[in-house]
Amino acid sequence: MAEKAGVVSVRTERAPSRLLLPLVVVAFLAAMLAWLGLTQFLNALTLGAVYALIALGYTMVYGIIELINFAHGDVFMVGTFVSMFVSGTLLKEKNGIEDISALVFGLVLVFVITIAVMAVIGALIERFAYRPLRKAPKLAPLITAIGVSFILQNAVQYFFGPLTYNVPQIFPVTWAFMVGETRVPLLNLFVISVAAVLMFVLQLFISRTRTGRAMRTTAMDRDASSLMGVDINRTIMITFLIGSGLAGAAGVIHGLYYGNTNFTIGFASGLKAFTAAVLGGIGNTAGAALGGFLIAFVEVGAVVLGFSRWGGAVVFSLLVIFLVFRPTGLLGSSTGDRA
Amino acid sequence: MKVFNKKGFVALAAIALLAAACGGSTSGKTLTIGISLPLSGSALASAGPAQKGAELAVKDATVDGYTLVVKVLDHAVNGAHNPAQAAADMTTLVGDETVVAVVGPFNSGSAKAQIPVSSEAGLLQCSPSNTNPDLTKGDAGATLRGGRPVNYIRVATTDDIQGPAVAAYAFAQGKKAVYVVDDTEVYGKGIADAFAAKFADLGGTVLGRDAADPKTTDFTAIVAKAAAAKPDSVFYGGVTSSGAGLFRKAMIQAGLNVPLYGGDGIQDGNGEGSYIAIAGDAAMDSFSSVAAIHDIPAAADFAAKYKAAYGEDPGSYSASGYACAQVIIEAIKVAAKAGAVTREGVRDAAVKAGVTYSTVLGDLGFDENGDTTQKVISLYKVEGGDWVFDSQIDYAQQ
Repeated sequence: MAEKAGVVSVRTERAPSRLLLPLVVVAFLAAMLAWLGLTQFLNALTLGAVYALIALGYTMVYGIIELINFAHGDVFMVGTFVSMFVSGTLLKEKNGIEDISALVFGLVLVFVITIAVMAVIGALIERFAYRPLRKAPKLAPLITAIGVSFILQNAVQYFFGPLTYNVPQIFPVTWAFMVGETRVPLLNLFVISVAAVLMFVLQLFISRTRTGRAMRTTAMDRDASSLMGVDINRTIMITFLIGSGLAGAAGVIHGLYYGNTNFTIGFASGLKAFTAAVLGGIGNTAGAALGGFLIAFVEVGAVVLGFSRWGGAVVFSLLVIFLVFRPTGLLGSSTGDRA
Repeated sequence: MKVFNKKGFVALAAIALLAAACGGSTSGKTLTIGISLPLSGSALASAGPAQKGAELAVKDATVDGYTLVVKVLDHAVNGAHNPAQAAADMTTLVGDETVVAVVGPFNSGSAKAQIPVSSEAGLLQCSPSNTNPDLTKGDAGATLRGGRPVNYIRVATTDDIQGPAVAAYAFAQGKKAVYVVDDTEVYGKGIADAFAAKFADLGGTVLGRDAADPKTTDFTAIVAKAAAAKPDSVFYGGVTSSGAGLFRKAMIQAGLNVPLYGGDGIQDGNGEGSYIAIAGDAAMDSFSSVAAIHDIPAAADFAAKYKAAYGEDPGSYSASGYACAQVIIEAIKVAAKAGAVTREGVRDAAVKAGVTYSTVLGDLGFDENGDTTQKVISLYKVEGGDWVFDSQIDYAQQ
């Protein structure tokens, strides 16, 4: 009963933004397409897909236990290595599989195994690094997160080595069609679609399933949810499973698109994705996804305007501006109750 | 048992400490040559051969009345050279009284951090590979060493020669419209500026300038912008560890199939983690330079000696590392003849005007800024998955 009432109130509160938001997003995308041109528009969307998938993990974890999981960027990095291991070492795949059925088989396997492995790793991190500290002061899990970040980096360095490695780009990078004068690579469209589908499924999961509802109520009030019969430990662990799985998907996409990885890439990507989560309103999943794309557009826009030398500065200035003038981010903090 | 071991260890440590303390005051003493390079991660592929070269030279040499040893410090952090760590390592070397000279660093950015520390201690430092002109020349150089006597020398020539040499190379190959990208670092931006200026002087067009964060893996936006300008070639000022190979891969992936020119930062052989390994098939049509002589006088002898010691062929900067150590050892000998070997003595002997050293690189000396008088640029191109020597130009003759 109480759960139902909570859900209803969340829906009514969010009603106005539900009408407005899609319009704003479509208008923004149209303006960006007109300004940047198709090639840069696709570059930004693809980069945004990676940021958005990572940002979701930050925001979900923050939403539910108010922990800024600094190890999350490195979870993504481990995901790139797992996908490299699966496609390169286990499946012995090479660049560009032209045969459609073999390609679909390879892609499904790489995505499924990487997401599964990363989900398990994420849940293990939660179980052994964060759960014992759940009642500790907030600084303790934060420091632990930084420690986990180092552990992940060093583990990858130990098992794979410290160099930049090539990840098989099994989706052929040469596949493309022409729109007028512009070459549109299928890889970009594929990456954007995969990310879009994953984010859509996540939204459905959070809004329509019992577990999703449990996640939202736990975010609102952990003790009350517990009294209503929600298994808090299980719910938090599922949050980590999903967040890390999405970071794993981002890792696969990074490998397919850029064809390389290095044990240090988690830091920069993680910081950008964290910024995306803050821009969107930390704790808010739709906001994190939007923030990811927004940051990618800002980065690409900076290059187009000739500010490539200060790309990072532009992104983080945006972060500072948001923190000062709209600390709750684009869509407002948290999963609904604090909107 | 455990307790006994611990006690034994403490006793051993005490003896070692005592021995070290005594060693400092006796006359047949140990002289240490520091080696300060980035030696792990992506940086190892390029800097490792310089370290091996320097160690080989120390092994080959003897100075009467002294024992020469090396002390190797690695200032790579997370796989790339780190200026803060480089400065910390230099402080460590300065603090070790037996250290009389240092070979290193490898990257200009790290040199900028080390020179103020080493110059204050009067410690001679020889870089096998630094090429940024501002480390030594003019006001920038004087400021960096705090107006103190020159203590920093290098056997690689500078980017105000290397950048233009690559520009002339590209221009001679019929390139007229170039797009220039750098990695925002001291070396990368410097050589890109020098390249762009010379290319424009020669009558070519620089279509645009961009810079990419050295930590990024996403070069798609910059590549798309470059492609829209329709260049016939691209110059990348930077090193492999800041993304040269990734940049090349992104170029080909986006369909920008034009040659890439670069400096010595991308010429790191074809081993694991090198530019060629990272770019893969996309490395085709890449051209680079090395700010050092390729046809060294006794190349075959050196290669054989190196291979006998390490079981591999010398890298681009092996001979340069060897030459740095040779210069340092010569300076130690001069200082030893004049009396006690002091840091100032070694430094002054090395940078003394008009002295010519006969090194593995050939005869060379150092000018009033500490820059080598041997101004040779070697040019390479990628063929069959490796860098192939094309030609070398001696700018001292011109």
